[in-house]
Amino acid sequence: MGRTLERTARTISTETRRIAADHARARLRRRRRAELGRHLVLALVTFILVAPFYYVFLASLKNSTEIFSYPPKLLPIPPYFGNYRALLWDTGFLRWMFNTLFVAGSVTTLKVFLDSMAGYALAKIDMTGKRAIFLLMLILLMVPIGALIVPLWSLVSALGLTNTYLALILPPLANPLGAILMRQFILGLPRDLDNAARLDGLSEFAIYWRIVLPLIKPGLVVLAVIIFTDQFMSFIWPLIATSSDDLQVLTVGVAALRAHGGANYGLWSASAVMSLVPIGVFFFVLQRQFLARSLAGALKQ
Amino acid sequence: MTAASGNPAYAIELVDVTKHYGKTPVLSGVNLAIEPGEFIALLGPSGCGKSTLLKLIAGLEELTDGEIYVGGRLANYLRPSARDVAMVFQNYALYPHMTVRENLGFPLKMSGVSRDEVRGKVEAAATLLQLNAQLESYPDELSGGQRQRVALGRAIVREPLAFLMDEPLSNLDALLRVEMRTELVRLHKRVGRTTIYVTHDQVEAMTMANRIVLMHRGVIQQVGSPGEVYSTPANTFVATFVGSPPMNLFKGRIESSAGGRMFRGPFDLPVEGLAPPAFADGPVALGIRPEHIHVLDPGDATGLAAVVDLVERVGPDSYLWALANDATSLTARVDAASAIREGDRICIRFPLQHLRLFDAAGTRVAKEA
Repeated sequence: MGRTLERTARTISTETRRIAADHARARLRRRRRAELGRHLVLALVTFILVAPFYYVFLASLKNSTEIFSYPPKLLPIPPYFGNYRALLWDTGFLRWMFNTLFVAGSVTTLKVFLDSMAGYALAKIDMTGKRAIFLLMLILLMVPIGALIVPLWSLVSALGLTNTYLALILPPLANPLGAILMRQFILGLPRDLDNAARLDGLSEFAIYWRIVLPLIKPGLVVLAVIIFTDQFMSFIWPLIATSSDDLQVLTVGVAALRAHGGANYGLWSASAVMSLVPIGVFFFVLQRQFLARSLAGALKQ
Repeated sequence: MTAASGNPAYAIELVDVTKHYGKTPVLSGVNLAIEPGEFIALLGPSGCGKSTLLKLIAGLEELTDGEIYVGGRLANYLRPSARDVAMVFQNYALYPHMTVRENLGFPLKMSGVSRDEVRGKVEAAATLLQLNAQLESYPDELSGGQRQRVALGRAIVREPLAFLMDEPLSNLDALLRVEMRTELVRLHKRVGRTTIYVTHDQVEAMTMANRIVLMHRGVIQQVGSPGEVYSTPANTFVATFVGSPPMNLFKGRIESSAGGRMFRGPFDLPVEGLAPPAFADGPVALGIRPEHIHVLDPGDATGLAAVVDLVERVGPDSYLWALANDATSLTARVDAASAIREGDRICIRFPLQHLRLFDAAGTRVAKEA
């Protein structure tokens, strides 16, 4: 009697285990299938995003007959470097690159500093008219660049700044977006933190410099990326503010390539590829910063 | 505004301290003198102005009117750092980007103390607070209790005239709170500095403070030792705010007759001697703490009949929530071993010496004029 019972129990337990294993296998199959589906979608999206870049990259390594050959060659073998040679030696590309990096770098550095200070003042300092100032900044944000160009040009020219680096660097500093962004970041810091600093004997500037700035580093990185890319790609204002070849920035110079010298698709493609290099490097460096920051934040929680 | 000079015998003196936010009064005419070494608890419900008062003393808020003296010096116009007070914040306010060592040493570094001295003082404070092992950690690597200790340490290293603590334990879990409470009391005994401790937790105030300052709607209701505040509350607000469950209050009238003074309300009670002879007849409230109500055998006809509504067992004793005369609810404390159950009829008596009388405005009436 006891033995039968024992045997029955054993059979049941084996059976249960078998069913559980079946379920586990089914689950695994389902998961694999879902994963495959996800990867297919991801691959498709990646292809859509990458294909145009690859096409341009391909064109930059082909001579003018190869570019129009049909069917198109999908691998540039052997690669043709004539476009790059022409770009670097026969045009002002390196000069444009220097101008762009100098202007974008200056604007980014100055603006991150100014915006974070303005953001601190707007977030932490009690002053009359603070709301009005903030409201004005929000309104300014809604004014399109097109409406500003003419008055801005009169201003810059009245100041005698046309055809100087200052004409390229000063106007973007007045954009209120950064200060608004910084204000939001700084508002997120607990009030008691600056109260503690005040009790520790810090001046208002020292609170900003020693307490607030280190704590909003992720925000500063975000702001720097926004400003730098914005400056890197800005076209209309540099086009209007400068006429000297020496002050041309990348966007204006590359556009000028198109205006002069006929339909040289290879050269255009090479200029597009080369223009991407600095911004690519910039992103690559800061992306690691981003990642490190967000991971650290996640672990801290 | 004539600036009377402060009394140097007091660590902190508040004279007619008033604070308005726009037109909203937050504090009205607060007067308080704190002796050196005292542990003062500012107790009151949220929004009573206790935290604002602390910030005014620290210099983090501007006074609307009145004077604040710290160590006998008029502090109204002194910067927070020049007031010689250190503050412990509710959410600790540690600098997240600095290690514990840097956090502790920062106030000293800022006031120009030499590097060696900073090191010495930081390590002494760390030893006092058992933080030696955490000196190189960042705040987010610490437990709540450790953060709390770092916040305390940051105040201690400055060796200020007074500590200002703004609900420093309210972010800790219940067990740790009790532990830190005793730790704080011990620390106060060792360091011996004047401490002003803001809390809404009456247990903290009762257990830690030499004196309790009870606040309500920006006005001090009573200043006194925990015992005084508990047993002789200045008014009905204090009577019901301090003590859990609060003091029983019965509304009624005082009436004089040939047989002496009587309280006439939900029940009648002779209250001869409870009020001074000059006290006029009129509306009053009669108060008694739950533990002072005598619960008699149900057969005893000498007291007031009541029906037990609910028995609340809290461990060492039980609270009876009862209805007297079928209408008036009251709370009485009995021994945990008591066999009284819900629905039981009981009989209660109010000993005269434990009754407190409050006038129509809610102010306690002293026995002698």
